[in-house]
Amino acid sequence: MLRDSVADFVARGTDIARVRRMRAQGEDCDRALWSRMAEFGWLGILVPEASGGLGLGLAEAAIVAEGLAGALVPEPYTAVAVLAATVLSQSPEGETRNSLLRKLASGESLIALAWQEAAGDIDGETVATRATPFEGGYKLEGVKRYVAGGVSADGYVVTARTGDDLALYWVPRSTPGVEVAGETLADGRQSATVTFNDVLAPRPHTLAHGAAAHNAVETARDCATVIASAELLGVMQRALDMSLDYMRTRVQFGRPIGSFQALQHRAVDLYIQRQLASAVIEDGLRRIAETTDARVRAAVASRVKARCAEAGLRIAREAIQIHGAIGFTDEYDAGLYLQRALVLASWLGNAALHRRRYARLVLGADL
Amino acid sequence: MSAVDYNAMSDADFRQEVRTFFERNYPGQLRYILRRARWDEMRDWWRTLYDKGWIAPNWPREHGGMGLDAGKMVIFLEEMERHGVARPPDQGITQVGPIIMKFGTDAQKAHYLPRTLSGECIWCQGYSEPNAGSDLANLQTSAVIEGERFVINGQKIWTSMAHDSTHIYLLVRTDKQAKKQEGISFLVLDLNTPGITVRPIRNIAGHEEFCEVFFDDVRVPLDALVGKLNAGWTVAKALLSFERLNIGSPRRPQYALRRLEMLARAKGLFSDPGFVDRYTALQLDIEDQGSLYSQFVDQVKRGEPLGQDVSALKIWGMEAWQRLTELLVETGAEEGVIQGVREVSGVDVDFLTTFYYSRPSTIYGGSSEIQRNIMAKYVLKLPG
Repeated sequence: MLRDSVADFVARGTDIARVRRMRAQGEDCDRALWSRMAEFGWLGILVPEASGGLGLGLAEAAIVAEGLAGALVPEPYTAVAVLAATVLSQSPEGETRNSLLRKLASGESLIALAWQEAAGDIDGETVATRATPFEGGYKLEGVKRYVAGGVSADGYVVTARTGDDLALYWVPRSTPGVEVAGETLADGRQSATVTFNDVLAPRPHTLAHGAAAHNAVETARDCATVIASAELLGVMQRALDMSLDYMRTRVQFGRPIGSFQALQHRAVDLYIQRQLASAVIEDGLRRIAETTDARVRAAVASRVKARCAEAGLRIAREAIQIHGAIGFTDEYDAGLYLQRALVLASWLGNAALHRRRYARLVLGADL
Repeated sequence: MSAVDYNAMSDADFRQEVRTFFERNYPGQLRYILRRARWDEMRDWWRTLYDKGWIAPNWPREHGGMGLDAGKMVIFLEEMERHGVARPPDQGITQVGPIIMKFGTDAQKAHYLPRTLSGECIWCQGYSEPNAGSDLANLQTSAVIEGERFVINGQKIWTSMAHDSTHIYLLVRTDKQAKKQEGISFLVLDLNTPGITVRPIRNIAGHEEFCEVFFDDVRVPLDALVGKLNAGWTVAKALLSFERLNIGSPRRPQYALRRLEMLARAKGLFSDPGFVDRYTALQLDIEDQGSLYSQFVDQVKRGEPLGQDVSALKIWGMEAWQRLTELLVETGAEEGVIQGVREVSGVDVDFLTTFYYSRPSTIYGGSSEIQRNIMAKYVLKLPG
């Protein structure tokens, strides 16, 4: 049902021409389309019913993410409806949190999580941003990097240190002292650097602190890692289908190139990678739903992303090789899949990072 | 007929019963042996299983089997692997028994099935020939009807455990004019029949497990034929997809994985980033194989037929197993190339046997290349 409605949505609501147009203009969110996604309830899949969401699970979010990514939809679904939605829903109940969740689910506010400060650090080891008590609230000072959806966002959930604790603050983008700069990613979307210069967060904008803040950020990171993997699955599926279609129709030496055994075996190996990615996501979603152990959840997320990042990149790279020179042209769509795969594979940790992390978590590796 | 309906048990209860039985009864010195077990080592275990009524988990109860459905069958095999229970020479149970049940005459069933269960008939498989390996349908061993007898001439090769067997089931050419697959018949015969010579072949691990079998004017009665004349290809193909699921089980590489982990820990390699990346990639290759395997098992449990995409399990699983044994030998360094069980940093490892026995896994049961051909054609629907 959900899968069908996502397929229907992408068939009617978006196409490669729109994706290319937005890429050319450096845009990554069409708010009209975003509102329609909200009307279907997709932005609120992980938002509790009490806050206007559907209160469903990661498995449903994975279906939406996979379908949207297969059509190369640039809108920051996972960044907002999974990463930001989870960090909010995992924060303690409160007026700010509840109202933000409501606005996120309705599409009224595009909310991003501004948490990372250093490349290759998804465990939040480097949080230099500080929150200092100031006149009934806090003043934030620091720089957040690689904020997905951050250029289009209306506001940020920001991690900062206060004393020895981690805390989460809500900062509307229009707050004085907030500066947003975009850098263009491989797929044309924007990676935001958000600078907080003496930004005032009034006391009611503190969302969580201490263990609650850690838990909210870590849960959100692990859940979004799995959903980014589902996006990679959508990308690899389409890139592989495209390659197989080309192998069936492209004729050289008087035969379709798909009849050559060297290419057939290559295609089978790519298909196996896609099967493994799909199986590990299904297994991972089930395990995460069953566990309450944060360490298990983190290990499962790493296992899923390690496979999907590697499989996604391999299938997208080989799509270029299978297509030959036409695959290397900007005009042909194969490159768009490689560009999206590059961004998704790196976001929230690439395969090498997740293998190291898995080794630390599961094997007790000392790295 | 066996009194117990195992399919009526819960999966958990059944698993526990099987596990307990293996733990109590399987001989300790035969756990996790890496080579194929010989008949004289396995005779007592066969008897134990036979007395329990468990020698043929896949056979229906009316023929003396356990009558397990696919889901229970998977559990039984999983518990065998978990406890390191070796396969006895079981081709009679897994292959020819089910074939005789499906295609045999009443007389063949009455004669062979009880003797196969009791271990009186030990079977080996005569399919491959020197010029019919991957191209099995090219087989040339002939059976010509002369009066009331088939006269068989030719040679089979890679016949596992023929030297421990009493009987052989064979694919032979009975019509040289017909198209390749259409002139083949399926025969069963006693290896003591005059004119048969069995010669073991030593493999690179130093063991004699497969054999050549020569047929020189071997005369057998016409009731050696199972199924119709010239229909042997269909008879032989009746069993395949469950085999590939079983071959693709993620538990096969467990011995190598556990040894490598113990060895790496003992040598302090889990603080070496280069080693950790390679080891973790392999462990994940095998864990992810497990996730894929579970999807196929669920399909079997739902009663759906397995498609040709199950070949992915064999390709990926066996190749991952090989990569793992390569890293094991490399980690052993100089010790890794010395024959026999070696003690390294307090861990006992048989590096070479582990390495060698992963090699033929991408050759037997349809080589990885043949499996890729099958998937390209039937799953990816690429042009021929």
